[in-house]
Amino acid sequence: MAAPNVVETRQLTKIYRQGEINVTALNRIDLNIAQGEFLALMGPSGSGKSTLLHIIAGVDRPTSGEVRVQGVDVTKLNESALADWRNQNVGFVFQTFNLIPVLTAYENVELPLLLTKLSSRERRKLANTALELVGLADRARHLPRQLSGGQEQRVAIARALVTDPSLLVADEPTGNLDANSAQEVLGILQSLSRQAGKTVIMVTHDPKAAAYSSRSVHLEKGGLTNGELDSTLRAPHSKVP
Amino acid sequence: MTLAGFIAKNALRNKRRAALTVLSVAVSLFLFVMLLVTLHEFTVPPEDIGASLRIVVRNKVSLAAVLPVRQLTTIDKIPGIAAVTPFTWFGGRYKDEEYTMFAQFAVDPARFTNVFVEAHAAPEQIEAWKKNRLGCLVGKDTMEKYKLKVGDKLKLSSTINPMDVDLEIAAVYSGTLDDRNVFFHHKLLDEALNTGIVGTWWLRAESAEVASAVIDAINKAFANTSAEVRAETERAFQMGFVSMWGNIKILIGAICTVVVFTLLLVTVSTMSMAIRERFRELAVLKALGYRRRELFAFILAESFGLAMLGAVLGAGGAWLFFRTIDIQKLTNGIFVYFEVTPRILGTAFTVAAGLGIIAALPPSLAVARTTVVDGLRTLD
Repeated sequence: MAAPNVVETRQLTKIYRQGEINVTALNRIDLNIAQGEFLALMGPSGSGKSTLLHIIAGVDRPTSGEVRVQGVDVTKLNESALADWRNQNVGFVFQTFNLIPVLTAYENVELPLLLTKLSSRERRKLANTALELVGLADRARHLPRQLSGGQEQRVAIARALVTDPSLLVADEPTGNLDANSAQEVLGILQSLSRQAGKTVIMVTHDPKAAAYSSRSVHLEKGGLTNGELDSTLRAPHSKVP
Repeated sequence: MTLAGFIAKNALRNKRRAALTVLSVAVSLFLFVMLLVTLHEFTVPPEDIGASLRIVVRNKVSLAAVLPVRQLTTIDKIPGIAAVTPFTWFGGRYKDEEYTMFAQFAVDPARFTNVFVEAHAAPEQIEAWKKNRLGCLVGKDTMEKYKLKVGDKLKLSSTINPMDVDLEIAAVYSGTLDDRNVFFHHKLLDEALNTGIVGTWWLRAESAEVASAVIDAINKAFANTSAEVRAETERAFQMGFVSMWGNIKILIGAICTVVVFTLLLVTVSTMSMAIRERFRELAVLKALGYRRRELFAFILAESFGLAMLGAVLGAGGAWLFFRTIDIQKLTNGIFVYFEVTPRILGTAFTVAAGLGIIAALPPSLAVARTTVVDGLRTLD
């Protein structure tokens, strides 16, 4: 039996107003993403892939259309409810890692849990587990500046995972990494999708990065094109380091 | 990690800026407190214990106009008066001093001690003063300042009368708010000037209940005479001096307002700068699920914390400083007393709290208005 859809978009449209001109970033996007799927959103700059990712993740609003994530229409939620929903359902991984520089790796991972009612002991257990999952338990007390780029991104993934969200969104997660670190990060994302059943949506320009996904879709001028990735580029299964 | 710990780490991430912000608040509040105390001392001068019962009688026309000595017999007959003494400003210079550095008054020693009951002196010294026509009663502070001792000569040259007095220190007093003054026999003045005048009458009412009746009686007793008087409480008399400072209250108030306003601009600017640098991080926090009110609480706590730390250093420092220094010496006698009252401390802390809250508003509004997407686009 096919996995249920975690994400469903219907006629999703986003129009930006720049002075007197309307710029259509997304044009009637219909997209389904199944549970456990690792989807690569590809396309040239300005194609609307980051906008689509932001709307699905609930950090931007569409002009029209509908986005359902696990049956919840996120466009209908108010700011406060949307913030709660993001905390519980979405994990973010950014191109520039965006760790808080004054907090240690452990504290950065613990940050989303401060919004929950968990005790400090429970928070500690979850944060340490997330750090172990990305292979950085021994770097828990390090500040971001004491970590390499790859390690920082792995801490960011641990932070995204720590609340056990059903959806992970990654915006160019390997854009600032060297080849080896990029492979490590992509391997982790792939494992999370395949082994932990997380739904991962990744925006990337890089076909090699997209090769780690289970499906890739292309956007161009705000619309979807049917561009399935060449199967020869598909990466083998990776495992979490 | 706790939210408080997170806020503290954020506030101290740029230690130099945090320290400079706290110091700017501290220095400004120190100045603010100093101005408030100055204003308080000018407008609400301190009172001696006996001041509540003391009444001052002066010429109705002006303090500079004198009163005839014959008024004493009339005043003595008014019921409710425990004691009365002539009290005339001498305005003498001591030695080579250019100005009058301590006040001197001609009084009636026999009556004086019953009016100024809080002035403590050895009984035998007081008796010696009463008996010695050239004797004088000198405040402890003046004795210490000029290294004088009982029996020493004290020559004063009057700046308002054509006379000098050669006094002999007979007694030393202490225990009043101003232990600097010199009191000598009014007879010396009467004999030298031969005019039968006094500057003012100072008297002590028998009780607080009769004080107002005594004031009315004295004013009525000399109404429509050649020397009409104005009797008033010591407090009202002092406030009359304060009014001579003119618009000093407005001046100091204006300086206080400028200090607070400047401080506000500095704090708002610093907080805005600190938050602008962290826009991207705050956008990340929003993405992680932090709501506007939580981000506002972070900014408010940081701003409030820095302002209150500044208040502790500035207002608390002022309290400690003015408690430990000798303000009389420091200001050459302009201020005898300079107390940072609990009310002034409260005002300073309230200003700091308001400052912390107001300084948090502009950056909080900017953060609230910025979407996660826009926040993530800002440069580090």
